[in-house]
This record gives sequence, C-alpha cells and structure tokens, in this order.
Amino acid sequence: MRQNNQLGVYVLAIFILTLVTLISTPLHHYLDLANIVMIFLLVVFLNAHKLGRGPAIMSAVLAVALFDFFFVPPRFSFAVHDLQYLVTFLVMLCVGLVTAHLTTRLQKKTEDAVNKEHDTNRLYMLARELAGATTLGQIFEVVKKYLLSLGCQSALHLVDNQGNFPTLRYEVLMHDLALSALRQSSTLNITQLSNNDSQGFVVPIKSINQSFGVLIVQESAAIPDDYQVNVRKLEAVSDLATITMERLHYVDLAQQTQLEATSERLRSSILSALSHDLRTPLTGLVGMSDSLVMLTETKEIKIHSAATAIRDQARTMNNLLSNLLDMARLQVGKVKLKKEWQLFEDVIGASIQLLKPALVGHPITVQLDPDLPLINFDAVLIERVLCNLLENAAKYSPAEGVIEIRGFVNAETACISIRDHGKGFSEHNRDLLFQMFSRGDTESRLPGVGMGLAICKAIVEAHQGTISAETSNDGGAVVTIALPLGNPPEFKPELEI
Amino acid sequence: MSVIKNVIVIEDEPQIRSFVKEALENEGWIVFEAENGKRGLIEAGCRKPDLLIVDLGLPDMDGVHIIKEFRNWSAVPVLILSARTEETTKITALDAGADDYLTKPFGIGELLARVRAVTRRRLQAADAPAKVIFGNVEIDLPQHSVTRHGQAVHLTPIEYRLLVMLITNPGKILSQSRLMKEVWGPNHAESSHYLRIYMSHLRQKLENDPAQPEHLLTEIGVGYRFES
Repeated sequence: MRQNNQLGVYVLAIFILTLVTLISTPLHHYLDLANIVMIFLLVVFLNAHKLGRGPAIMSAVLAVALFDFFFVPPRFSFAVHDLQYLVTFLVMLCVGLVTAHLTTRLQKKTEDAVNKEHDTNRLYMLARELAGATTLGQIFEVVKKYLLSLGCQSALHLVDNQGNFPTLRYEVLMHDLALSALRQSSTLNITQLSNNDSQGFVVPIKSINQSFGVLIVQESAAIPDDYQVNVRKLEAVSDLATITMERLHYVDLAQQTQLEATSERLRSSILSALSHDLRTPLTGLVGMSDSLVMLTETKEIKIHSAATAIRDQARTMNNLLSNLLDMARLQVGKVKLKKEWQLFEDVIGASIQLLKPALVGHPITVQLDPDLPLINFDAVLIERVLCNLLENAAKYSPAEGVIEIRGFVNAETACISIRDHGKGFSEHNRDLLFQMFSRGDTESRLPGVGMGLAICKAIVEAHQGTISAETSNDGGAVVTIALPLGNPPEFKPELEI
Repeated sequence: MSVIKNVIVIEDEPQIRSFVKEALENEGWIVFEAENGKRGLIEAGCRKPDLLIVDLGLPDMDGVHIIKEFRNWSAVPVLILSARTEETTKITALDAGADDYLTKPFGIGELLARVRAVTRRRLQAADAPAKVIFGNVEIDLPQHSVTRHGQAVHLTPIEYRLLVMLITNPGKILSQSRLMKEVWGPNHAESSHYLRIYMSHLRQKLENDPAQPEHLLTEIGVGYRFES
C-alpha cells in the first residue's frame, strides 16, 4: 500500500514536469530562457512542497535534464554550446535541492507537532477519565482502552499483602519479572521474550510508599509509526494509574477508618448503656435489701436472713455482669490498654481491699520479692484478674484456708501467683479451665459460670503475658500470671541534704 | 448527731433515691431529693446543704458539670454515685472538686461510711490538727517529726510532703495528677512511676504489712487515699 503510494508520487512528479515541458515548448519563441528556468524552478518548488523529499530531489534533477534537452541550444541534445548555461544548471539544481530539503523538514516538523498534540490530547483524555474512576475495574478499563488505541494488549496484575502476584501464580518467569520491575521501580523491556518482533513491557505501578502492581503491555497490531508505543508514554500511563489507585486507596482507608470508628463508638455506647441499665436496678436491689437487713437485724431472723441472701445474690449478679461486660469488651478485640509503669504491690493491695467482704475468714499472706521492678500494665484490668483469682481462691478454699499471694521474677517475666488450699484442679479438665463457660465440676453447688478464668486469660494475653494453673504438691490450686518485664523508666532517688 | 444537717441527693432513679434517703434519715440527716441536675442545682442554691450526693449519669446534664457549677459558690463535700466503671470519669469528677465516689451497686454500710468520712474531714479541716495519729504512727506537723511505735522514722523531704498531703485530706481520694502536681510541681506530671515508688517507700516505713496496707490505700486507676 505504502509502496504503491510512493511510486505514484514519483510518477506524478514526472508527469507534471513533462506537462510543463510540453506547455513551455511553444512558449519558447516568446520567452527568454531565463523565464523558462523560472517556470521549472517553480514546479520543482511546488513538487517539493507537496510530494516530499524523494520526488523533490528527482524533480530537481529531471528539471535540469529536461531544460537542457528541450530548450538550451542546440535543442534536443544534451550538448551545451554556451558554457554559461552550466551556471544556470547548477543554480537550478541547488535551488531545487535546498527547497526540497527545507520544505520536507518543515513538513516533518508540522507532522511531529500534530502527532504530539494528538498524544497529549489522548493522555489528557486518559487523565480525565481516570480522575472520574471510582473502582479498580474502571481504572483498568480506561487504561486498557488507551493502550489498545496504541495497538497494545495490556493486563493489570495487582500485588497482594505478601508481595506476590496471585494472578501470575502459574507464570513463574512473568511473576519474577513483575517482582523485579516493582523492586527496581523501572519499566522492563521484554521484547526479546515474544515470538514475533512485537514489543513488550512490564511497567510498575508504584508510588513512593506503596506498590500496587504491574501493567504488562504487549504490542499486538501493526500501528502507524506515529503512534508507536514507547517507554515514556507507558510511564506516563503508569504514573496516572498510580495516582488514581493511590487516591482510591486513601478513600478506602478513610472510609474504613470511619466505619471502624463508628462501629467502635456504637459498640462502646451499647456496652455502657447496657452496663448502666443493668446496674441501676441492681443498685436498687442491693441498697434496699441492705436497708432491710439493717432494719431487721435483731428482730425477725427469717426476714433478716432472706434480705441478706437477696443482697448477696445481687452483689454476685453484679460481679457476673462486670465479668460479662468486660468479656464483651475484650472479645470484640481492640481494648485499649492504659498501661503504666507500676508496682505489683499497689494492685495486689487494692484487690485485697476491694474483696475484703468476700475474703472474710480466709487469712491472706503476701510475699513480694524485694527486687521486683516496675512493670508496664493496665492496673484496672490486672486488678480485675486478681479479684477474679482471689474470689475463686476463696470460693474453693475450705474455711480458714490460707490464701498465699507471691510476686517474683522468673526469667523474662514478672509473676504473681495465687495459691489456695482447696482441692486443686483435676488433671483432665485443667486445659478446659481457661475456656469460657467451663468449670471444674460441671454441676457444682458453688455459684459462677466459669467466665472468670476466661477473662483473666483474655486480659493477661492482651498484655502479652501468660496464665497457667497447676495443683501444688500439697493439693491446693496455684494460678500464676506472668507479664513481660520490658524496660522500666529511669528512677533517680532524691538527694538528701 | 447534735446539729441538724441538710443533704441533697441528686439521682434520677427513685428506688436508689429512696433507700439513700432512708439510710441518711436514720443517721439524722434532713434529705432533699432532686431527680435531675437542674432541680438539684436549684435545691443546692437554696437549702444551704452540708453535703451533696450526685449521680454522674443524669438525664439532663453531666454530673461533672453540676460539681463544677456547685464548686463556684460552695466548698461543701460532694460525694459521687457512679454506675460507670470508667476511671477517667471518676478522675474528671474528682478533679472538678468531688471529694469521693461510690461505685454502684453499693450497700448502706459503704454509703454511710463514705458520708461520715467526707463530713468528718470537713470538721477537721476547720481547725488543722497539730498531730495526726493512725495505727501506731504519730505525726507531729509543726515539728515535722514522724514516729512509729515511739521510734523516730526517717522520711525524705518528698516522702514527708507526700505523707502530709495525704493525711491532711483524710478519707479523700487524691488523684495521681493532683499528687504529682502538689508534691513534685507541675513539670513532673508525666513520670507517675515516681509517685508509686514513693508511696511504696512510705508503706514500707509506716505500714505493718506494706502489701496489705490499712492506711495508705491505692484506688486503682484513680489515685491514693489516706484512712486513719
């Protein structure tokens, strides 16, 4: 097609020159040779302008030949009598060639400018369409359409959290190429991999702080020279795609954060509403039964003991409720620990103080190693753990059974162990112990739903600690919590003057 | 009780109000009730109360707001009732000027003990005692001397300041940040582990069993309290 066209242009040039020669021949009697030269020059110029470099050069040479043959005496011969015509020929040839060169160069430049504008327009359109894209699918559609207009097939491969390309699982070579393109942040030319001569590229889609994936581009159709794919164009596309993907990513992130915050808020407001609504009637129950207990102290024994029972049951209910709500908080995940560097002494003392009514009749000994450092923990939650453990110890101990609390350092952990003198744990259900709703004896006469230890476990594990239970040699249960030591802050003792 | 005293109970739950009222009346208080914050503030303004009992979760306004408002014109003790287990709320309320709190549910015994503690404190504050005695410890404030079992106990200046801060506010919970500010100055609010270590030193020197203190008590997540 192109070949024929080229030939046609040459034929046309020859035809025009022949025509001009034919027209000029009769005029030869009326015009000076100098004017005929002008006519030929004009034609060479026009040919150069319209037909391109090759025909222009040919026109210049042919024009000189025709002029010599038909007009310069002796006519119809290439011989020249008057040597000054050689100057004419030289000037004609030079003018012809220079015009040919200049006009074609100008044309080429214009063409380039038009092409560039076209390219810019397309890129601009691409950018505009990408700006409107709201899903990954849309981004890819737009990019694909653009690359198709450049005569390229393209495929987008996204990188997953582990830094792999799941969509390239079965193409080991391509997978490696994609990875190295991402790592180097530069486009790889994979032309030599294709069967035919078509060009291929692996273009990374990557921003400064995030990798999204790669675009694999393969030239497929013959395309006009003007629209050839090149690395710069591909990189422009990848930059645009990266910006869009980053935008989508942050929109996603913002939405997700907002969603999480909303559900977190909802969750905590439900929990605190629940806590308030359930505790209010319990407060009434405890308070009113307590005043009944006080009123009937000496008189009606029956009512007195019933009121005492109601009060104690309501208090137990409140403990269960606290455990349940804490568990709900812990189980939905993100409990924010209010960790501070502190001593075991404070939290142990406070727990004993808090549980005083339940611990009546159980002597307590506390033995803390003198070298216990400051430990980083959430005091309120660890107090909850200790209260649960102490309550259990009191519940499963015989009357007057001593409860021993020890604080010590073991390897990289600081430990608190609580030991009672009850029956200890039976071997077969020790593993079940820390699971929710499990108890040593399934039908025990002692109250509690077996949530206490599960909460202890959840809290201790939230501190990256461990909790373990065993039966000591003399039969009592020992529960030990171990919290990581960490690096306590500096403490400078005051200078005494 | 020889003098008749007024107490205002601001609480939206009628059952809770009623048993609190009954318990306090048995102790000789004249009880005025308010079921919301607005009413409570009006009562507080015209009854000249000797004690204010405020629920933190009122339907119309935040309990902390009432305390702040009330503290603008009165130094009378304030006791908080709170169903919330959130320590930060308690700290806010204490820093707003409340003297003590009771976590729901509470028994009559606890209520009356707290009421006695906060009102006794008020009587004491009127004429600051020269000597404070608790357990087997005696502190002579003008002399700056501390003895235990009659033996002189050596305290460092910080320990002494901390102890004085606690014993001059008997029964009252002092929040960590307040203690840090009063004893160490405003620049040390971040290093609260100093407070814990000095409290531990004080217990070692003054308590019979430092791990089960009877006088220098920890309110976990909130602060410290001295009980004589």
